[in-house]
Amino acid sequence: MGQIDTALIKKTLDEKLNARVKTGLDICARCALCADTCHFYRASGNDPQQVPSYKIRWLRELIKRKGKVDEDFLKEMYETVYGQCTMCRRCSLFCPFGIDIASIIGFSRTLLAQQGIMPEGLAKAVENYLASGNQMAITDEDWIETVKWMEEELQEELPGASIPIDKQGADLLYTVNAREPKFYPMDIQLAAKIFYLAGEDWTVSSKPGWDDTNLAMFAGHVQAATHVVDLTRQRALELGVKRVAITECGHAFRSLKFEAPVWLGGPLPFEVVHSVDLFAGYIRSGRIKIREQCFTEPVTYQDPCNVSRNGGLAEQGRYLMKKLCADFRDMMPDHNGNYNYCCCGGGGFIPMAGPFRERRLTGGKVKADQIKATGAKFVVTPCHNCYDQIRDLSEKYELGVKVVQFKEIINDCLIIPDELKAEE
Amino acid sequence: MEAISGFVEGPLLWAAWIVFIGGSIIRLISFFRRAKQRDKIVFQNFRWKYVLLTWLRFLLPFNQTVAKNPVFSILGYVFHLCLIVVPLFIVAHIMYWEESVWGWSWYSLALPDSWTPVLTWIVIGIGAVFFIRRLVRPEVRILSKPGDYLLVIVTILPFLTGFLASHTSFLSDYMRTIHILCGELMLVLIPLTKLSHYMLFFPSRMVIGVEWGRRGYVA
Repeated sequence: MGQIDTALIKKTLDEKLNARVKTGLDICARCALCADTCHFYRASGNDPQQVPSYKIRWLRELIKRKGKVDEDFLKEMYETVYGQCTMCRRCSLFCPFGIDIASIIGFSRTLLAQQGIMPEGLAKAVENYLASGNQMAITDEDWIETVKWMEEELQEELPGASIPIDKQGADLLYTVNAREPKFYPMDIQLAAKIFYLAGEDWTVSSKPGWDDTNLAMFAGHVQAATHVVDLTRQRALELGVKRVAITECGHAFRSLKFEAPVWLGGPLPFEVVHSVDLFAGYIRSGRIKIREQCFTEPVTYQDPCNVSRNGGLAEQGRYLMKKLCADFRDMMPDHNGNYNYCCCGGGGFIPMAGPFRERRLTGGKVKADQIKATGAKFVVTPCHNCYDQIRDLSEKYELGVKVVQFKEIINDCLIIPDELKAEE
Repeated sequence: MEAISGFVEGPLLWAAWIVFIGGSIIRLISFFRRAKQRDKIVFQNFRWKYVLLTWLRFLLPFNQTVAKNPVFSILGYVFHLCLIVVPLFIVAHIMYWEESVWGWSWYSLALPDSWTPVLTWIVIGIGAVFFIRRLVRPEVRILSKPGDYLLVIVTILPFLTGFLASHTSFLSDYMRTIHILCGELMLVLIPLTKLSHYMLFFPSRMVIGVEWGRRGYVA
């Protein structure tokens, strides 16, 4: 950490402090109704330092001091705003004034990011986004090669299938999490299979904009975050698509559907849909045929914060669960759907790594207890961060659960017309 | 004393009301000016359905917060109800408004005299519960600054002194003036502190209502 540019802090406060954040700080009654809504608070055994309204004290102080703070202040602020909040917004559901604590934390992160203060893992991701347009610094060549490889594999099963690249005028542009080409290429193949069987008119893009993750959003780096969504926007406009689809990822959906209009200043010229919404639509309309409830293991559903509470897809997720699973056990009543707890892997925690790893595993105890209480052996979650986090929680808390995404279960349940299959 | 009470009931009262009303208007306008410039997303996604429903959900006890903390919530609702009803509808106050330059009168809505001390002591009693809760509960104490404790007292004082003035003879020569001063103090502090939530509740919930609403649900 070098010199603090206090003038920049003041300037940003003067120019960017919005009504929502300012009013929230002003009218907080300090009633502490937000306390036990937060997984960090509960997982810590009710440590008062974890009360959401306490965690926003830094911004209040910054405003009071008009940005005149020192390194130590920012160091402590960093520990709170990156290390004690996943910006899941659960507290805002309960606050009588609906104060958007996540936005206050987000703005706090922005002020730190401006000073070059960010967790290393996120700083690296921001660097990669700015240089290559994707989180993992994958070259366009490697991306296309992976896509083509997955297409080949898919065609061994379904000769008529394909993964269109840069198809002009397609209806849907499909974007992925950069982890997929790097570590989970099967995800791309599974999505392509579903799109093929659904008769979807889709494409991927060969150029930057194909990665929808946008960790820069959680770094608080507004400039990089805007750049990432702008790349996708440009690709969508060039290809003339009507919709952009998001892989089974939470923050990617939040980024493109709900935050991009804020950063870019207005609505996007295309619709943004999440995989959960797409898949539910295909099954509802019969575009893809499945063996209903073919997944018979006891299974629960993890509502990713950015797909359910901040995505509005809690109902769709449950529709899919009921259609695909014979033994679906929802998490505790009043604590599922929009009110489900954050798994503690979000807000950038997974890529933050380092000292943040232990914190997210501790904070995730609430989620671990929820899963244990259902007695499920499997957890379905349409989010890459929840996926990683729950896998780690299962290990730490000996839950003995396996995590799956919808694509995997749908794939197991698919009824494929014989004429589409490859010759034996 | 007469000069003092004349001042307290005259120019000071005018000043207190002007600060209260003017201050409230300024805060409301400030909110919308700032929001129009920096919270455009709210206006781009605004729908009355999202906003009215979320206001109702929280103005009435039909929300998950009440379900989560039923005792504290119900105390809060009762406190606020009495807080608003008592100053507006007790005969003594209606009388003063009728006698004022405005000449407004709403005796038909007056509270029965027997209710007044009951409702007054409900405000004082629940206020005391809030004060103690703030001291005793660690999750509330950690949030609390001296101002949070003082504001509870500022809120209780008009009710306590009102009761003392009308139902006892304690410091009877001065109590009416003290009561009015306490009321003026509260009026002035409302736009300047978190007590402004009486009005900012509406734009604040409007924002979150639009946030949930553009995700397709009301909470």
